[in-house]
Amino acid sequence: MNWFTFSLHDFSYAFLSVLLEGVPFILFGTLLSGVIDQFLPARVMTRFLPKNPFLGVCAAAGLGLVFPMCECGIVPVIRRLIAKGLPLSNAVAYMLAAPIVNPITALSTYAAFRGQGAAEFTALRLGLGFLVSAVVGLSVQNLSIGSVIKKDVLESIVLTGAESGGSAPMRRRWIAAMESGVRDFLIVMVYFILGVAVASLFGTAVNREILLPLSTNNWIAVPSMMGLAAILALCSSSDAFIAASLVTFPAVAKLAFLVFGPMMDLKLFFIYNAVFTRRFVVGLAIGLFVLVGLLCLRLSVIGL
Amino acid sequence: MKPSPARFSASGILMIWGIVLLSFCVSGRITAYLHPTFHPFALISGVVLVALSAGILFLGADIAPFGCGGGVFPGGLFSILVLTLPLLAATFISPSRYGASAIENRGIVDNIKDLPAFQKFVEPALPNEDGSVSADAPGDAVPFLKKNDEGYIKAETVDLLYAASQAAMRGDFENKDVELTGQFMPSRMGNPTGNRFRLIRLFVMCCAADAQSVAVMVQPKSPTDFSEMIWVKVRGKATFPLEGGKHVPLITDALVTEIDAPLDAFTY
Repeated sequence: MNWFTFSLHDFSYAFLSVLLEGVPFILFGTLLSGVIDQFLPARVMTRFLPKNPFLGVCAAAGLGLVFPMCECGIVPVIRRLIAKGLPLSNAVAYMLAAPIVNPITALSTYAAFRGQGAAEFTALRLGLGFLVSAVVGLSVQNLSIGSVIKKDVLESIVLTGAESGGSAPMRRRWIAAMESGVRDFLIVMVYFILGVAVASLFGTAVNREILLPLSTNNWIAVPSMMGLAAILALCSSSDAFIAASLVTFPAVAKLAFLVFGPMMDLKLFFIYNAVFTRRFVVGLAIGLFVLVGLLCLRLSVIGL
Repeated sequence: MKPSPARFSASGILMIWGIVLLSFCVSGRITAYLHPTFHPFALISGVVLVALSAGILFLGADIAPFGCGGGVFPGGLFSILVLTLPLLAATFISPSRYGASAIENRGIVDNIKDLPAFQKFVEPALPNEDGSVSADAPGDAVPFLKKNDEGYIKAETVDLLYAASQAAMRGDFENKDVELTGQFMPSRMGNPTGNRFRLIRLFVMCCAADAQSVAVMVQPKSPTDFSEMIWVKVRGKATFPLEGGKHVPLITDALVTEIDAPLDAFTY
């Protein structure tokens, strides 16, 4: 068996299909970020979220149930929300949780795992996604904003936060929202394209049979499935169907795949780099890998 | 205010993306890439991108030079190349289908339980006391199976995989003449007589990147020699022999003819 066979035709086909699927969601997210930039009054988020830091992070991690966002479109949105005064810890918790803790992902997970304990699996996925996001959000509280957000982004956040106000004429504000959205779209797309290219290379050139021996034991299967989730870079609304079909892998490994993937994969690694410092993104990737892995391995003790 | 070069670049990039998306939608090429659910999103995005391209060029120019103030436009040459070249190159290079090596690398589903969205078979309800059957009980599928003019049941690879796993469903197809279309793939495994090939279709949840190849075995009447991944029509008898301790779908006495690729190559 040849483990790596590259074909430019296959690569370009997979690459294009993910671009065509992802662009509408990134466009929606970036245009929404433009609207937030111009029309959401500063500090409004802090008025609605609990003042207590712990409760605030928990509320942000559950916000996806009311404002669902997919992982591709959420980064520009949280960038604007930070500019509007949303605490960084809440923003990170929302960013990580929203692609999992939302009604669309819940329904698709339930549908994919019908006959395999769908209700329990869906609850575990959402519960674990919430827990991990809240833990990471609380950890971010202790970090300085300069160590998390890129310098140029931080400067633009400060600038837009100060600039945007309700006094400008409506037409001008709509145009400014469009400009802001377009700028975010172009920035995020650069990273998205790079991430999709890497994911498509792995998705078409690497023989998946090499993964089969990894499914035999939880200690190997859990990290392997998280690695697979990172490489495949699937959309959180459809990844459950792929996970459910990987029948040779234990349930905890599938759970790790479904919690880790929407929080960190190859395309997200690049997209996060559009807003966060390289050091933070690498730390986030390692932290999520360890945290999700340990929690899933712990769940295997209860026989999942 | 005269539009800046950065504004022209941004407008051009949005226009390219918009035109590519619209051309995929209008030409129907999109069907080879995305599940139908996503087609409207791509179309709307194409229209919005073209509108934004015009908008930032003609409306935004009055406000400020693009890239000043609230953020930095990725106007560097590297960003412009990343935003345009891969898209354009892939659009021209992509054959809108996978080749044999990607299919092999991604794995082939020949057991229905490995298929994404696999649904367990629902046992038929028992009849009522008077012998009648509830309106919502699954009934005999045979009258609903589509047939061609020559009486062959028009089946999909997925149908036969489901049938192989359930005795009740096997009865709908077993020893009946069926017609299937799919792509030709030589079989290196599960081929004891050496004259079988795999007939595959791509099962898609969202887009081609998550596609799974679904295969049934075909034993042709006479030796076949098609190129890998060529589209063929297979007419033969559906059988479900026990191999390796389980029933496997096998089309025997099959007549195989090359056909043009269908407009919608996926199965959902």
